[in-house]
Amino acid sequence: MSKFFLLYGEKLIIAIGTHFAYVVFSVAIAFIIAVVLGTLLSRKPNWANSIIPLISVFQTIPGIVFIGILFLYLGMKPGTIITALSIYAIFPILKNTYVGLVEVPEQYKEAARGCGMSSMQSFFKVEFPLALPSVINGLRISTVYTVSWAVLSAMIGLGGLGDFIYSGVSSNNNTLIIAGAIPAAIMAVVFSRLIDLLQKLLIPKQIRRSGK
Amino acid sequence: MIRFEHVSKSYGDSLILNDLSFEIKAGELTVLIGPSGCGKTTTLKTINRLIEPDSGKIFIDGQDISKTDKVSLRRSIGYVIQQIGLFPNMTVEKNICVVPKLLQYDKDKCNEIVHEMLELVDMPYEDYAHKYPSELSGGQQQRIGVLRALAASPPIVLMDEPFGALDPMTRTLLQDEVVRLQRKFKKTIVFVTHDMDEAFNMSDKIIFMNKGNIIQIATPEEMLANPADNLIRNFMGSHSIDREALPQTASDFMHTKVYTSYKTRGIREAIDLMARKSIDTLVVKNPDDTYAGTVSIKAIREQGRTYSTIEPLVMQNYEVSYVDADAQECFEKLLNGEGSYLVVLNHDDTIAGIVTKTSIAKSLADAVWGGNNE
Repeated sequence: MSKFFLLYGEKLIIAIGTHFAYVVFSVAIAFIIAVVLGTLLSRKPNWANSIIPLISVFQTIPGIVFIGILFLYLGMKPGTIITALSIYAIFPILKNTYVGLVEVPEQYKEAARGCGMSSMQSFFKVEFPLALPSVINGLRISTVYTVSWAVLSAMIGLGGLGDFIYSGVSSNNNTLIIAGAIPAAIMAVVFSRLIDLLQKLLIPKQIRRSGK
Repeated sequence: MIRFEHVSKSYGDSLILNDLSFEIKAGELTVLIGPSGCGKTTTLKTINRLIEPDSGKIFIDGQDISKTDKVSLRRSIGYVIQQIGLFPNMTVEKNICVVPKLLQYDKDKCNEIVHEMLELVDMPYEDYAHKYPSELSGGQQQRIGVLRALAASPPIVLMDEPFGALDPMTRTLLQDEVVRLQRKFKKTIVFVTHDMDEAFNMSDKIIFMNKGNIIQIATPEEMLANPADNLIRNFMGSHSIDREALPQTASDFMHTKVYTSYKTRGIREAIDLMARKSIDTLVVKNPDDTYAGTVSIKAIREQGRTYSTIEPLVMQNYEVSYVDADAQECFEKLLNGEGSYLVVLNHDDTIAGIVTKTSIAKSLADAVWGGNNE
């Protein structure tokens, strides 16, 4: 065991760091795009009905294929993997933002208008806060998925925990596979916990029950 | 003052408001009522421009509201909706302060408003200000809903079936509270309901609508006395008073079962009768069955030991009427007199019955709700 860490320790730490960075950057970018898009779509439910299924079809393209194609165009740099991961991470957040906003009960929107809120004020003070539990749930799904998708970065030689898993598989070395898989699993749990914490901070417990 | 001039609105082929012209006076509580689909809610919502009429104009204090800014118009008009619509993501305090904040009142002013408002409905600041709507009962939530509408002291408050979802007890409480607040602050309140009881409990003026038209505008009294058509009469149902059924004379509503005693009877016998029947006075007759007066347990207790019969204790302090006396006159005598009932006599001065306050209430209730007089 200690021999393993002596041999791979530094490499493992770098891999964890890289993996972590990929997840954070991709999800952050995806989050911004998804929330903006989801919000715009919620104002135009007619468009949403055709656009959302389209994006969900796109979601079914295997990650390996997509990263391969992007690699051809963008080359071997972190930007390629971040772009790919972001695009995959958009959908769950987008869909949850859209659903969360569309499902804000009419009574609150009417009360907001009746109180004299502009549509911006209604959005920021009432609608978005009420959709927030759903948005954060989307964020959680995306983040956890992204942790596992980021393994694919090793495929185009861009590091991350996938390095350990791929070389373990190709050299039939179980220790290496586990050395890659366990930190990835832990990372997923840690992210999920962090998001729980975020949810607790942002959403009063009195409405958490009703939030999805 | 709110004035409608030839206001019409239709959705597709269906006409919702048909050329409405009327006025709502400042400082009055006006109820819009009618069967569902009559256009009452639509009428209400045109006042704060949640719905824009197709044609016609609405003026508030002489100003055409279609020429004002929607958002600032709404900030100057309180609005309470049926589903309450307190923002679940905000505490009670923040909900009350929504409009003051939109109007950019400073923090101290908002804080002061919240204290004042909660005091109005007897919900202590310490206990309620930091609660979320989900932690309150329906009645408390709607109280806060009303406070939110009042917080920036708008001269006009619109209420769209605000108590429709509450249980009858809470509803009555809140109706009284709104009336009290209205009297106190002299607000112009426009109130939509489909409940005639609510309309009669609260309104200064009732506007009755059907199929987009106004059928009648009247005070509750006028509407009760002269409903404009059968629809209104049916709608009022139990409220319309059938004048024929009202008690006309004392004999219409007196109790004929009276506990009497001859004045020659013994004190102990009188006490025994009162105890058995759980009453505190007896009606006393002369030996010829004419009315002599009443005797009370109090008089017996104070001086009873010294006498053997009740005769010296008989008093004539109870009001007396004859059987054909006018009902209203009897009511007044009873309400002003010191006795707890009124003794009704036949023309030969024998005892016909008594009238108690309960029997008045009962006979009025029978007339109003058409109960049978057994």
